[in-house]
Amino acid sequence: MSEHIVDVGKRHIKEINEEIQEAAGQGKEIRVVNTLSRHNLGVGLPDGTKIAFEGSVGYYCGGLNVGATIDIERNAGWACGEGMSKGHITVGGYCGMSCGAAMMGGTIHVKGDAGPRCGVAMKGGNIIVEGKIGYQSGFMAHSGRIIALGGAGASCADALWQGEVWVVGDVESLGVDVNVVEPTAEEVAEVDAILDPLGLKDNSRNWRKMVSGQRLWYFESRDASAWLMI
Amino acid sequence: MCGIAGRIVTGGGQLGRNLVELMEAQEHRGADSTGFAVYGPMRDTGYVLRGMGFDKRKIDSDLVDFEHILRDHASDFISEPTVTIDNNAHYCFRMEIKDPKDIDAWVQDADTLTDRIEVQSCGRSLEIIKDIGGAAAVADKHGVRDMVGTHGLGHARLATESSVLPNASHPFWARPFSDVAIVHNGQITDYFTWREKLERKGYRFLTGNDSELIAVWVSDQMKSGLTMQQALTNSISSIDGVFTYMIANAEGIGFAKDRFAMKPLVVMDRNGDLAMATEEQAVRRVFEDEGDVINYDGPSMTALWSVGNRRFAA
Repeated sequence: MSEHIVDVGKRHIKEINEEIQEAAGQGKEIRVVNTLSRHNLGVGLPDGTKIAFEGSVGYYCGGLNVGATIDIERNAGWACGEGMSKGHITVGGYCGMSCGAAMMGGTIHVKGDAGPRCGVAMKGGNIIVEGKIGYQSGFMAHSGRIIALGGAGASCADALWQGEVWVVGDVESLGVDVNVVEPTAEEVAEVDAILDPLGLKDNSRNWRKMVSGQRLWYFESRDASAWLMI
Repeated sequence: MCGIAGRIVTGGGQLGRNLVELMEAQEHRGADSTGFAVYGPMRDTGYVLRGMGFDKRKIDSDLVDFEHILRDHASDFISEPTVTIDNNAHYCFRMEIKDPKDIDAWVQDADTLTDRIEVQSCGRSLEIIKDIGGAAAVADKHGVRDMVGTHGLGHARLATESSVLPNASHPFWARPFSDVAIVHNGQITDYFTWREKLERKGYRFLTGNDSELIAVWVSDQMKSGLTMQQALTNSISSIDGVFTYMIANAEGIGFAKDRFAMKPLVVMDRNGDLAMATEEQAVRRVFEDEGDVINYDGPSMTALWSVGNRRFAA
């Protein structure tokens, strides 16, 4: 497969994304250089695209991904992979606020820490963070899994719905309406199966699995104790 | 949405050019107005005033009345004020004045003219330049790129709850304390509660902009003897809303961030040579090569950086 190099610099983002889409359409592997933390790079990439960003990217990189394999060498800004439905995004460094917001499928693998509200309102897929997930991560996650191997910030899994937050290490505090449950052996095996291809499987881990307490889920406004939760 | 920025230049230098770069990169966050707080060479006596008048047809009478108030406080112009005008109704001015006998009392009296002419900064080193339009337009009009200094702030404003005039733009001066300026990205949700409390204490508000509240609130904290760091820390539990604001004085720059971790701040620190901004792509205009970036993404955060390149509190 031939390689196409895209130089970002100060060019207009629309022009850059058009060049990326054209190269993807021709089945070329794409390497993006001189990224300068610019926003909106590689949005809406088609299934089968292979693209690597050298350096750091800004907001919304890999958003609306429908099957591309995206490798970001260093940091990603806000909402990396927002609304993606398929594919794989790797962030080599830190991933900013709202990583994987409202994603529906696919995998985001963050090698560093993730910022606040990681996986906010996610509806499917997996987010694996080798470091720590930030404040209020998993907020209102409808489905999918967030797996953090380096602990979690305050208000973890706040107002979670059907999503799950798995954490190894310290959790600064739990959010509202969260239950910490003991995962079954089958569930741990499922998580290990996600981690194994990334070289992150470790049988000695002490997991904390967080799920919804379902009281906000079935919020009853006439119940005074429900208000006290929030 | 707004964009904020800060810059500390080791040893001083082409500060203005860098501040403009930082704000040009964030113009999409708001181009209703742009402002800069530039900390230039420190003077031993006298102040530089920056401000605006609302009607350029009345420049002469405004300045005469302003001068009378200065003289009432044992001050005067050191040199002839310079005035900048364009197609807009307002005008902007720069003045150098002798020290008033009591700066607090002088500011109170000068405020009686604020329906016509408004002082927007007063500093031994600080000059606040703010005007309507994007970064390049404001920089071109006021020669910001050529300004030298040690540190400064920038702001790109998306006007929401108050007017699009230079007086409702950022940075805000923490009147009457010379050389203190703030820029803010966010919303203060208990604005009217705090404003009423502070007005009862005798503070005057010149705009309906919630960011002005932070400047006045900080003044009140400083009047009660608190340090900048203490004021920053107190603001997180005292002021309600989603905010990240930066405050600067002659010694350095600090920031505070709300309890909900909503408004970002990104910092690149090259051995005390610092660029700070809402967005990482902005600091990359100053430091283009890949380097370590500090994301102040968490809730309830403060930091303070000194011009001497020491981080003197956190």
